[in-house]
Amino acid sequence: MRRLFAIALLSCLTVPTASAETFRFTAIPDEDQSRLVERFQKVADYLAGELDVDVEYLPVKSYSAAVSAFRNDQVQLAWFGGLSGVQARRLVPGSQALAQGSEDAAFHSYFIANSATGLEASEEGLPAAIGGHSFTFGAKTSTSGRLMPEFYLRRQFDEAPEELFSRVGFSGDHSRTIALVESGTYDIGAVNFTVWQAAVEEGRVDTDKVKVLWETPAYPDYQWTIRGDVDARFGDGFTARVRQALLDMSDPELLASFPRDAFIPADNDDYTPIEQVGEELGLLR
Amino acid sequence: MAVESAPLLRLDGVDLGHGRQIVLANLTLDLHAGERVALLGQSGAGKSTLLAALRRRLAGDVAWCPQSHGLVPQLAVYHNIYMGRLERHSALANLWNLIRPERRAWAEIAALCEELGLDGLLRRPVAQLSGGQRQRVAIARALYQQRRLFLGDEPVASVDPHQALRLLALIDERHATSVVALHQRELALSHFDRVWGLRNGRLELDAPTRELDLADLDRLYPAADAPHPTTDVQRRAEAGDA
Amino acid sequence: MRERVPGALRGDSPGLSLARRSLMLVALCLLALPFADLAIIAHDPWAELARMAGGLAWPSWSALVSPLHAIALTVGVALWGTALGVLLGFPLALIFARSRLVRAGCAFVRAIHELFWALLFLQVFGFSAVTALAALAVPYAGIFAKVYAEILEQTPGTAAASLPPGVDRLSRFIYTELPLVWSRLTAYTRYRFECSLRASVLLGFVGLPTLGFHLESAFREGRYHEAGALLWLFYLLIGSIGLWSHRRLVPWLLLASLFVLGPWPQVDGGLLWRFVSQDLWPAPLREGDWSGLIAWFTEIPDLLPAIANTLLLGLMGTVGALLVALLVWPLASRHFGNRPSRFAGKAVLVGLRSTPELMLAFIFLLLLGPSMLPAWLALALHNGALLAFLAARHADNLQPGMPGLTASGRYAYELLPRLYPGLLALLFYRAEVIIRETALLGMLGVATLGFHIDSSFEYLMFDQAFFLLLVTAMINIAVDALARRYRPRDVVMDDPCSR
Repeated sequence: MRRLFAIALLSCLTVPTASAETFRFTAIPDEDQSRLVERFQKVADYLAGELDVDVEYLPVKSYSAAVSAFRNDQVQLAWFGGLSGVQARRLVPGSQALAQGSEDAAFHSYFIANSATGLEASEEGLPAAIGGHSFTFGAKTSTSGRLMPEFYLRRQFDEAPEELFSRVGFSGDHSRTIALVESGTYDIGAVNFTVWQAAVEEGRVDTDKVKVLWETPAYPDYQWTIRGDVDARFGDGFTARVRQALLDMSDPELLASFPRDAFIPADNDDYTPIEQVGEELGLLR
Repeated sequence: MAVESAPLLRLDGVDLGHGRQIVLANLTLDLHAGERVALLGQSGAGKSTLLAALRRRLAGDVAWCPQSHGLVPQLAVYHNIYMGRLERHSALANLWNLIRPERRAWAEIAALCEELGLDGLLRRPVAQLSGGQRQRVAIARALYQQRRLFLGDEPVASVDPHQALRLLALIDERHATSVVALHQRELALSHFDRVWGLRNGRLELDAPTRELDLADLDRLYPAADAPHPTTDVQRRAEAGDA
Repeated sequence: MRERVPGALRGDSPGLSLARRSLMLVALCLLALPFADLAIIAHDPWAELARMAGGLAWPSWSALVSPLHAIALTVGVALWGTALGVLLGFPLALIFARSRLVRAGCAFVRAIHELFWALLFLQVFGFSAVTALAALAVPYAGIFAKVYAEILEQTPGTAAASLPPGVDRLSRFIYTELPLVWSRLTAYTRYRFECSLRASVLLGFVGLPTLGFHLESAFREGRYHEAGALLWLFYLLIGSIGLWSHRRLVPWLLLASLFVLGPWPQVDGGLLWRFVSQDLWPAPLREGDWSGLIAWFTEIPDLLPAIANTLLLGLMGTVGALLVALLVWPLASRHFGNRPSRFAGKAVLVGLRSTPELMLAFIFLLLLGPSMLPAWLALALHNGALLAFLAARHADNLQPGMPGLTASGRYAYELLPRLYPGLLALLFYRAEVIIRETALLGMLGVATLGFHIDSSFEYLMFDQAFFLLLVTAMINIAVDALARRYRPRDVVMDDPCSR
């Protein structure tokens, strides 16, 4: 009996390490994460069917964790934000951007404000009166919640956010930015426009209490990035097949996980503006 | 008695103490093989210091029974007694003995316990024993060491006089020579060959018991009316001197 | 002639020296307060708070995806993390007193929070149990080494002294030293296990799929009914430790949890080497470029304000914890109240000390707005509740000498004077932990060292993160040394769980 148990134990310990060449992917955690594994498992199943290899999804908790997993080859494919994608491609030479969402070529951030501030929306830019209020970004390396909002703030006011605002926070997440501005904890915040629209549509936000002040000009954001060595490991033309599989993804249920209407081709050069801004703000080096 | 033979140990004008503090100054005494010595004196007179010095000098020959017992309350009676011969086994054997008692040691210790009235308690943790039982375990451990010489620091302090006699008899049976610190003066006269009496940091008395009476011993204690020995024993027992 | 009342705080009695030390601490805190940002800026927190309360009141059990797996993993990581910590820490404890190197090493690994260890190991071992176990085992080895060494040092020597000469060291240890301190060693280990259970949940916050993983996502995204269910699960788990962590059951739990810890990653030696030899060190340093190194230093975010904020928050948190503990320990003590009130009091204390500080802080952030205040309250309540729990346990072992005193009399004359030295000693031990925890609350926008460390990890600037971690560790070690210097001496720390 004891021996049997030991054998069972041993086999249990050794089996999981055996499956070496599984194709793994991850996605940065900035959308609704409920039933995340379940939803991305469907994406994994789709890719497995298209690519004829075992595909696994690896859930991660932060932008940097996604980049680290990509760098350390724990995943070969990742759905990155604009900045995290640039970080990843700099760390893994040869890796390339494959595809982006149809919305991502011209992505926006919204500056939102609590109604109690009395700030009014405007087409031209942010009202000068935002100075002195409290402000929150999203995650520290979010393109739409940090990088581009800070870029436009600096361009318009020629000041660091810490000097412009009375307090600057990092909520860590778009949904939380909305919650914090709605509750008046922070006066102003910057969010990903798709997250805002989804929250408004689903009635998760009270638009009497919080409203959009200004929409940033368009910039490129989310994209799929793949490691450069996958052709050697998974067969010639693998990169191209992955790209095609992504572009061919048409099931709305799968696309809703990202959430995008469709994927369109992208390449590394599309993200040069993001790279420049990242360097300018000292977030890249 | 072999008073004429060369002494087992001779102290000649030695200062004893802890560190720099001298407790017993300029001490001179002989300990002869085959002698049974009672060590008397007030608490704090230096009995323990003298015993410690004897123990140091006679190291390998001594079975030692300390005043505080030095038992490990969490371990069983068997293991506490076994500790008397810990140095005669390898570390591995000792470790294994904690898990599974060694058969021969068990048999010997069981026999010893029976003589000391501890039968049936071998597996019991010392923490669950009464004061008198612990005292006997401490003696059993000393007996188990099987040495020529017994050194005891008040080994019969927390047992009744009747049992004290029995324990001393057991000690005598197994050791030719002994030095025992105690408070019971009658016992010292009736049971020992010689008395060492300490007072004021000096060896005040060093004489064969046949030349002594109770009054000589009373002089070791400063109060004119020394307490009666039995009440002395009782008081110490009540004070939880274990 | 009337006898003059002596100056209230003059004299050498131990009680007065304790009072002076406590008041000094409080005065220091009051002096520092003006430098802290304690503004209350909140407009309308009630909607969000109501949603949170609703979530806790009506937890949605069905929303949980795989709660059993998460619980099993949480327990497995905690058990094995503790076990490995013991395995590493115990031998170190034996040479702790003799080796300065070991003491310094242990102080260093202790000084870095489990979460930061996890972030470091994450870079090498990825999201695997190895990361989680290493993140617990490494700092715990340092803690165990120190506390075990302290316990062993207090072993009564009489049993060892009565052994015959010539007994080998190992035999002497296992017969006459280990049994005497065994109960204290195991009591401490059990307590540490409870800590590791909380830490194991916390590790979920960086991505290991323990309970905290789901809790953090649900809470962050405002799915409060799911978060409520997870939080209740966690309270139950902590509250029922006594039921399921029986001595006999632990080996089986250890074996069984091996099944949930896998799959084990293949550790890539190259990756490990790259991380240790390159990632952690500034590029200019590796290349011997001294002017570049100066430039590298200028890129580091404002170090001095960060250190000041860390110390300030640590001091305020320590004093706050003392005040909270003094106020709430009677809630859980048998000397006060009745059975239902005690049960409620105990539940409140379990709730406060088990709720991750980050969550407490977020609730206060909503209530009070972004300043140092939420972080302070979170630290004070969390640590105060822990101290109160230990103080109440201590009080329950005391027997009041005067029956029939009023509750306030009992508190002030009977119990507190006997508890206080121990409580203060505990607090001085805890100061180090509180400093370590300030690092976590950096995410609230309070620019502590932890805030910058988190940023550096986010920007993948591991050299910067490592440098800041070193600074943090130095500060922790300094605070610990200071606390040890001023903590009440001659207090019998009969409760080893104090550390």
